[in-house]
Amino acid sequence: MSPWAALRAVVIYVYVFMLGPILITAAVSFNASNRSQFPPRGFSPQWWQRAFSAEWVEPLVFSFKLAALAALISTALALPLAFGLSRHRFPGRAAIAALTLGPLMLPALVTGVGLLQLFQYVGLRDYLGFSALLIGHVVICVPFGVRTIAISLQALPPSLELAAASLGASRLATLRHVVLPLIKTGIVAGAVFAFVHSFTDVNLSLFLVRPGEQPITVKILGFLEYGFAPTLAAVSVITLALPLVLVAIVERVSGLGDFIYASRSRG
Amino acid sequence: MARDHGVIGSAAPAAARQSGRVPWLLIAAPTAVLLLFFALPNALLLSASFVKSEAQQLTNELTLENYQFLFTRPLYIWAFIRTFIVGTAVGAIDVLLGFPLAYFLVRTRSRWKGLLIALALAPLLASVVVRTYGWYILLNRYGVANDLLVSLGLLDERIAFMPSTGAIIVGLAHALLPYTVLTIMGSLQGINPNLEAAAMSLGASRTRTFFHVVLPLSFPGIAGGFILAFSIAISAYATPAILGGPATQVMATAIYGFMTQLLDWSIGAALAVILVVCAVTLAYAAARLGARQAAL
Repeated sequence: MSPWAALRAVVIYVYVFMLGPILITAAVSFNASNRSQFPPRGFSPQWWQRAFSAEWVEPLVFSFKLAALAALISTALALPLAFGLSRHRFPGRAAIAALTLGPLMLPALVTGVGLLQLFQYVGLRDYLGFSALLIGHVVICVPFGVRTIAISLQALPPSLELAAASLGASRLATLRHVVLPLIKTGIVAGAVFAFVHSFTDVNLSLFLVRPGEQPITVKILGFLEYGFAPTLAAVSVITLALPLVLVAIVERVSGLGDFIYASRSRG
Repeated sequence: MARDHGVIGSAAPAAARQSGRVPWLLIAAPTAVLLLFFALPNALLLSASFVKSEAQQLTNELTLENYQFLFTRPLYIWAFIRTFIVGTAVGAIDVLLGFPLAYFLVRTRSRWKGLLIALALAPLLASVVVRTYGWYILLNRYGVANDLLVSLGLLDERIAFMPSTGAIIVGLAHALLPYTVLTIMGSLQGINPNLEAAAMSLGASRTRTFFHVVLPLSFPGIAGGFILAFSIAISAYATPAILGGPATQVMATAIYGFMTQLLDWSIGAALAVILVVCAVTLAYAAARLGARQAAL
């Protein structure tokens, strides 16, 4: 066997390892019995019907709202920050850059614990739940937007802005008609990564939830204490499919490939 | 693919305005948010770890007791040790599985290349909770693995694969593999293909070229991938919570216990500080190793 053929064989096993558990989860959700039999015995949509009951749709919608708002707000904060950091040199710039990347460096779990204590000690305990979660998610999502927008800004030839200025465009007009359209992909990519990061987060959310106000990941985690339920398999598949569909659509419309290296996060 | 070496790091920005004035208009609001809701809570956490607490309120008493407590109780010493075993094993497994996959994805001329890369990275879009749940289905006492082994006659009776440290390692290695693949792919792509051509034109065999040229040059990616997987693994909560139990505590689950069940927030804070020190040291080491795009 040639080395390349051997490598290909190894790679097939790695793909089986990576995708197997996900495919088994999907298969089990159609099981006729309420056990995790695989291969599934019979076919039944009953678990999927239950997955679409209010008990599961509510945390799913909660997660979706949270992620959408976190993506929107964090991108709005990231845009000026990225401009400030990549277009200006000023005293304290390195400190601001470190602060910006901080939420990526520090485990989200620790930020969650810190925020919980902050809310408790300043007497804002009542704001745990959606408000606290939104604040936490915005904070851990800001670095994604700053990085993708900064990448776009750096790829922009300075001559374009000079050309616009020499043709009489004001700085605001240059920004609106030249710079912003050209960095649009970076802005969109940052927002998408932020959405996915927020939607899949569990380490931060864990500490900031309250009954009735929890994202789907925390809800699933809590439910697992009662053991296996095929409904959970169906819910998992839905939770998994949502960001996948979103990313596929955005990739089609505006492209994300160039920014994948900026998407790496910590758990 | 674009790299972001120093995009917002220390490198001098290309189109920078050399005014030296702080662009307050741009940075004031985002900086305020990060100071208030990121720097402040973490500073609070650090100070809380040196203070005694009662009923989730801090007292004025400065103390090292919180750290002393953690470093003297076997339960927590074992949680530290287990956390590091898990991190090391996860990093090693992910490098062993991730390198062949990354090498294949960078070098293949298959027309499915794009799809294969997408398949390798797509798991990142799913929450760790959901991906770990697949292992729960596989490994629990009445799960798929037991079903299969019993029906094949390889097992007489069902055994418990979980809760166990092994299950945590497998689950986390699975969850973090895409990060390692991405990091190693990045360093493999940066290797000038002419170097390999040169080695072979000088008479080195394909294998020799691989071990003496490609492997050493991709070391920053391998180290970066290992450290990234390690540092995410030691702060992961969901997988140890699902595939482990009370007997397989790690630092993350212990922190959660202190914060929500034992309600000793100062000890929880001390444990969180220890976790941060480990994670940041590692990230710094990764940056030093030249794999900064992996760590930042």
